[in-house]
Amino acid sequence: MKSKLTTIAMILLAVFVTLGGTTSCKSKKRLAKEAAEAEYKSKVEQAVKDLNAILDDETLWTLEEKEARVQTIKDWNLQNAEVDDLLFQVEKKLARERAQKNEEERLRKEAEERAKSADVMLEKNFRSIANSSSTSQANRLINETMDLFESPNVPVLIIISQAGGFNDYDRPTTIEKYLNYLKDQKVSNNKVNEIKYNDNGKINELELIKK
Amino acid sequence: MKKILATLAIVLCFAGIAVAQDELSFERKQAIDSLALEKVRDLSKYIKIVGSKDTPYSEANRVIDRAEELFMSDAEIGVSSLHSNQIQYYRVRKYFERLMRLNYDRVEIEWYNIEYVSDLQRQPDGTYVGVITIFQTFRGYDAEGNMVYKDTTKKDITVYVKRKETQIGGRTIGFWDVLLGDMRVKETTNK
Repeated sequence: MKSKLTTIAMILLAVFVTLGGTTSCKSKKRLAKEAAEAEYKSKVEQAVKDLNAILDDETLWTLEEKEARVQTIKDWNLQNAEVDDLLFQVEKKLARERAQKNEEERLRKEAEERAKSADVMLEKNFRSIANSSSTSQANRLINETMDLFESPNVPVLIIISQAGGFNDYDRPTTIEKYLNYLKDQKVSNNKVNEIKYNDNGKINELELIKK
Repeated sequence: MKKILATLAIVLCFAGIAVAQDELSFERKQAIDSLALEKVRDLSKYIKIVGSKDTPYSEANRVIDRAEELFMSDAEIGVSSLHSNQIQYYRVRKYFERLMRLNYDRVEIEWYNIEYVSDLQRQPDGTYVGVITIFQTFRGYDAEGNMVYKDTTKKDITVYVKRKETQIGGRTIGFWDVLLGDMRVKETTNK
């Protein structure tokens, strides 16, 4: 009789343990599922918020930061219709911005190159005028150089000092007077600091700086 | 009493700021010192060009215009000679026109030892005034190439440097306007 009772108790214990373990495992899975759902929901909300902000230009992010954010959202692979739609719109918008930025960069580099080559050419002409062996040779070079300018009266500014964070200039002159000055003084002591052009590509302002 | 002291401190503070704004930094002062010296060197080249018998008339006239721009409107240039104790003073254009017509077949004019004898000093109206001295050697030659006249003259030139502003391309440019004043003869020798 005692042995029967022990057996029954053992069986009951085994049943309780088994049932209890199953219940606990199911609870953990449920919690994990809930957590995953919460995380997914949070990511979707964040993605929608960020993508809308990018679309409406309400962020202070740079283009590179916006592109990085979009990539992160894509990597989440949320498979959410709203997010996918927003991603499509944002990617189109960023592609446009990227194209515009690349074009601006190209134009900036082109202008830099042009300015650099104009700097080199102008300084070479200045030296040639100053070192001319005759007045007629200097005058020929002056006429050639003047062709680069909008008119003989284009202002020429000469920076004599940049101390204290601002420019001190000599009395402004004109390109015609400056080129003749180089011919008269036979020395070219200034280098090109900045060139401004008109719409026809002619120089309409020149800033020099003392070497 | 405390109020008076506090007010005095504030007034002195503002006065200090005003004085500090008037004072040029060493670098900026050096830049305008050099600029004024450069204008005098420019003048020496113009005198040489106009004095040269090889310079075409049109070129000489253009250079005289540039030289005139270096001077104050009423400035005069002193002229001396070993043959006279008198020093004649001429307006700038008149001086250059006489220089162009000097009765020699060839003229050599050299300027050297160009330096400040009196540093640029700030005046109450904000203008900086200084005196630059130069030595000029003049040689005149006849048709045979013989030197028929030579003298060396020490001259003092007063320089005025003033901060001005102008509009260029829609922006205000602050510049230092250097103008030469009278050029006075100090001594003339036959060296």
